[in-house]
Amino acid sequence: MSKILKKFITFYHKLGSYPWFYKFSGIAIPYVAFISLIPLFIGLGWGIFYSPTDYKQGDVYRIIYMHVPAASVSQSIYYTMTIAAIVSMIWRMKMAGIFIKSMAPIGASFTFLALISGSIWGQPTWGTWWIWDARLTSTLVLFIFYIAIISLYSSFSEKKSADQAVSILTLVGAVNLPIIKKSVDWWNTLHQPSSIKLTESSTISLEMLYPLLLSIIGFYLIVLLSGLMAMRAEIAKREINKEWFKSL
Amino acid sequence: MNNISKRVFMKELVSYKKRSSTYLSPIVFFLITLSLYPLALSNDPNDLALLAPGITWICVLLSTLLSIQNIFNEDYEDGSLDIFFSLRSTTLSLVLIKILVNWIFSSLPIIILSSTVVFLLFLPPESLTILLISLLLGTPVISLFGALAGALSLGKSSILGPAIVLPLSLPVLILGTASVSSFLNGEDPTFYFLLLLAIFIFLLPLICYACIGALRLHYE
Repeated sequence: MSKILKKFITFYHKLGSYPWFYKFSGIAIPYVAFISLIPLFIGLGWGIFYSPTDYKQGDVYRIIYMHVPAASVSQSIYYTMTIAAIVSMIWRMKMAGIFIKSMAPIGASFTFLALISGSIWGQPTWGTWWIWDARLTSTLVLFIFYIAIISLYSSFSEKKSADQAVSILTLVGAVNLPIIKKSVDWWNTLHQPSSIKLTESSTISLEMLYPLLLSIIGFYLIVLLSGLMAMRAEIAKREINKEWFKSL
Repeated sequence: MNNISKRVFMKELVSYKKRSSTYLSPIVFFLITLSLYPLALSNDPNDLALLAPGITWICVLLSTLLSIQNIFNEDYEDGSLDIFFSLRSTTLSLVLIKILVNWIFSSLPIIILSSTVVFLLFLPPESLTILLISLLLGTPVISLFGALAGALSLGKSSILGPAIVLPLSLPVLILGTASVSSFLNGEDPTFYFLLLLAIFIFLLPLICYACIGALRLHYE
């Protein structure tokens, strides 16, 4: 057991080195790309073409296979960024800063995808593009947070202090997001009694659930893939003048 | 230690007093934005009374944004921040004093002025104390976020300050307006006051240390 743990720890330490990560990600990217396409294609194809039509919403509900994975991914990315921010604050690991910088635009785009697909779904089913529902509002706030993190990068010229500043902001945001979520819930119950329930997962049938789970897995793998590619590109950008990079 | 804090406090008071624009501009901005709402929305007293708590809170939030660049910028430019950071033990009290003085000069006048919404926006006079208490409890939190944004965007003037402060202060805005409207609906607003106080107490140490970390970035 301890051997595996030791191996894992050395693997974790190696992740902190630019040349090692650059090489490792170069090898891993084609495999991850291949593996991620399988559940994504099966999940989306099964969901869009073969799963049964919803008795209430008709074929419109099929956007669930985009919407739910995107919404789930958009929050998970922020959690991983929080962990990376803690790592970067405590151990000053340079790779954690690169991780946050590469993941923030990815998280922002998936949050945007969740918002857009949600409103496209909402138009035929609720008859409105947007509703100030608690979940929609907190997703919008999450999107604004991603934008704030990205814009903080552009205001620093020094890479190292930009990483630290963004880690601070990510941590403060992570502490504040549950408070925002809770207060939006209170605000929602105060201003409008619950007219639309978004949670109806208990009624989902298994023929719909399996492709949904597959496409969620596919989305997570796509995030992994794009994260690896973005981090690799960021390393190349920062280390372009270094000896090890030139000798590749 | 205590002596240094006292002197820093006095020095901050004097420097704010000398730059009258730093505390006058939020006040002017507050009054102007407050008077824009009736012009844009409606001049019907009933409508305005309904919207008054929200309008006041938004105006307060926006006008405190004006002063966040001032919290650390001058000391950063004239180099006194360098000296404070060389005396490592004083940084925490320095940050606390700076936030406190900034709150006294940028938020307190606005809170006092916001009692005019009784006349300007026809807020029911009995709910004025509730509005003032919610502002007194909520604005320190906004000042904390403002200090963090000021520390992060030190030496740069950009959209960054609002982009950081506004999303972070959403809970304060929601709870502050909810306290007044719950009072107008005949409920007890103590729940919201306690929550605002809890947010402040919870965030005070966190944001102070985040501010120190952010300021230290400029000396690495």
